[in-house]
Amino acid sequence: MASVSLRNLTKRWGSFVGVDNQSIDIADREFLVLLGPSGCGKTTTMRMIAGLEEPTDGEIWIGDQLVNDALPKDRDVAMVFQNYGLYPHMTVYDNIAYPLKVRDTPKENIAPRVQRAAEQVELSGFLDRKPKELSGGQRQRVALARAIVRTPQLFLMDEPLSNLDAKLRVSMRAELKHLSRELKITTVYVTHDQIEAMTLADRVAVMKDGVIQQLGTPDEIYDDPQNLFVAGFIGSPAMNLVNGSIANGVFSSADGTPMVNIDADDCSSVTLGVRADDVTAIDKGQGFTDAVVYAYENTGENTLLTVLCGGQRIIVRGDRHLRKEQDEVIGITLNAANLYLFDPESGLRLRDTGVRDNRSR
Amino acid sequence: MRDRTLKYLLVAPAVLVVFATTIWPLIESLRLSFTVGRLNKPGSLDQYIGWENYTWAFLYEPAFWNSVTVTAIYTVLTVVLTTLFALALALLLVPGGRFRSGVQTLLILPFAMSPALIGVSFRFMFNPEFGLFDALFGVMIPPLADVSWLADPVLAFAVCVMADVWGWIPFLTLVLIGGLASIPRETLEAAQVDGASGWRVFRDITLPQLAPVLAVVIILKTIFSLKTFDQIFMLTNGGPGTATQTLSHYIYFNGMKYGQIGYASSVAWLMVIPMIFLTYAYARYVFRKN
Ligand SMILES: Nc1ncnc2c1ncn2[C@@H]1O[C@H](COP(=O)(O)OP(=O)(O)O)[C@@H](O)[C@H]1O
Ligand SMILES: [Mg+2]
Repeated sequence: MASVSLRNLTKRWGSFVGVDNQSIDIADREFLVLLGPSGCGKTTTMRMIAGLEEPTDGEIWIGDQLVNDALPKDRDVAMVFQNYGLYPHMTVYDNIAYPLKVRDTPKENIAPRVQRAAEQVELSGFLDRKPKELSGGQRQRVALARAIVRTPQLFLMDEPLSNLDAKLRVSMRAELKHLSRELKITTVYVTHDQIEAMTLADRVAVMKDGVIQQLGTPDEIYDDPQNLFVAGFIGSPAMNLVNGSIANGVFSSADGTPMVNIDADDCSSVTLGVRADDVTAIDKGQGFTDAVVYAYENTGENTLLTVLCGGQRIIVRGDRHLRKEQDEVIGITLNAANLYLFDPESGLRLRDTGVRDNRSR
Repeated sequence: MRDRTLKYLLVAPAVLVVFATTIWPLIESLRLSFTVGRLNKPGSLDQYIGWENYTWAFLYEPAFWNSVTVTAIYTVLTVVLTTLFALALALLLVPGGRFRSGVQTLLILPFAMSPALIGVSFRFMFNPEFGLFDALFGVMIPPLADVSWLADPVLAFAVCVMADVWGWIPFLTLVLIGGLASIPRETLEAAQVDGASGWRVFRDITLPQLAPVLAVVIILKTIFSLKTFDQIFMLTNGGPGTATQTLSHYIYFNGMKYGQIGYASSVAWLMVIPMIFLTYAYARYVFRKN
């Protein structure tokens, strides 16, 4: 078990920057999730920590050791690969036992540890099979068992759930969470799925184009996004972002439709952020402003309304009994207590400039 | 015309060609192997003598056993050496390995040469008066300066093996590169992270996954080594004496030079036996399920 530090870590291929000057301190036993869209450099970061990719610049510390020049085998990490990387010619038992065998674990210690790891991921009945005789979920669990059979300093997991179907993914997510709290080993977990990130992480690092946009607890990045990218990436449905202006305490959309009263300085160009849960749909004329229903969706647990208001689409979450027709005119009200303001140019949250949103106070 | 008849009609020319060039000579040679079969003796091609040709080879012909021994040693040496060199080269040249791909195209050169040409060129290279290798070895290893390579039984054999290995390395290397490239990279990386050294990764992960390709390569090379003829013919013509006389060469000599076509046919059919086993094994590997 150990803390991990990335200091100004950079990876370039020619002029292409995969990971840009990245610094993170991961505490001992912390579960850190690297979250970002495909191609943002998550895997590259993880591979540099594992020693499978050489950093162009910067330092990697595991515990109190600088490991830049250490071979993967000497870094004492365990990794779950996106496609699992199981050894196809070995049985499940041999797959799980391999990290022990190759590290010269005494023979009599191997079997019980493999058994225990297999039990932890509920694979005990499959030890004699080859990977190709297993389902996707079972393979994933073999990869997991191979990682937990030792007690490494650090776990690395690269989108371990992404190859599973939706239902299995949810149940494996819970198992992973349970396992990680039980094992209490520092973990770096890569995903592009914000729900996975939110549910598993102690802290989330949101990445884009090789740069960390925000690093914080799930609550922090959900409640307090630092910029437009994070605001738009976290949450399902994503936060509504409306371009407009503020005059005399009223935010109006770009075409001049007043949308909400806001306690902020005047500003000619600003992006307003509001989550679907903070917009209420009521009858026509009853809300702050009127809107036209563009699409009505019922998910079973709740309903999603996409409405057109001030020339822009806004998604509203309603309760499961809400019924609206397409093209119906309704009234909407934005919850003035939960609004975010961003600079449309830089994308940054407006906090300490002349304009401030209520959430920043 | 019905499709059923048409399809047979369409393959008929190909079947005829195969029959005329392969099946028919095969049957005919089997028949000849049971006859006296001397080209210079009219009527002997139809004069049946049962298994006499076969027993003759086994019981009374030291030259036959000599060529069996030569072929066996030649096969083992060339198969082992070619495979080892090709594997080493493939590991160096595999994409993502240490060298970039430009070198790979150079590799094909020796393979583009016909075995006969390889034989001739090696014969020149080891010519005592103006051979490049002869001079080179003489400079590098002074005790070898005055040897006449192709006149010494052991050295001539070594030169034959060397020429064969040189000619076959490219093909085997290319096949093995293909095999290596198809090994999932994640399995190699997983092993590194699991704690394996470079050698352990090779032994535990690379080699077992390469095994089917390696088996095919070894079987194929064995078949070709057992059949070797043209290279030897051009390089040493079986000599000095019979030091490099392979079975194929022995068959050729008896059949074409001495006109003992019946006897030659029987030896040829003796060679078919290991070939059938090897071909069967080869087919099993190539067409295996999964
Ligand atoms: N070996 C490489 N050579 C060149 N570019 C690479 C290499 N590996 C990854 N990249 C690029 O680096 C970027 C980040 O890749 P990666 O870390 O795999 O993204 P992620 O895991 O976040 O989807 C991608 O644009 C990818 O194309
Ligand atoms: Mg990735």
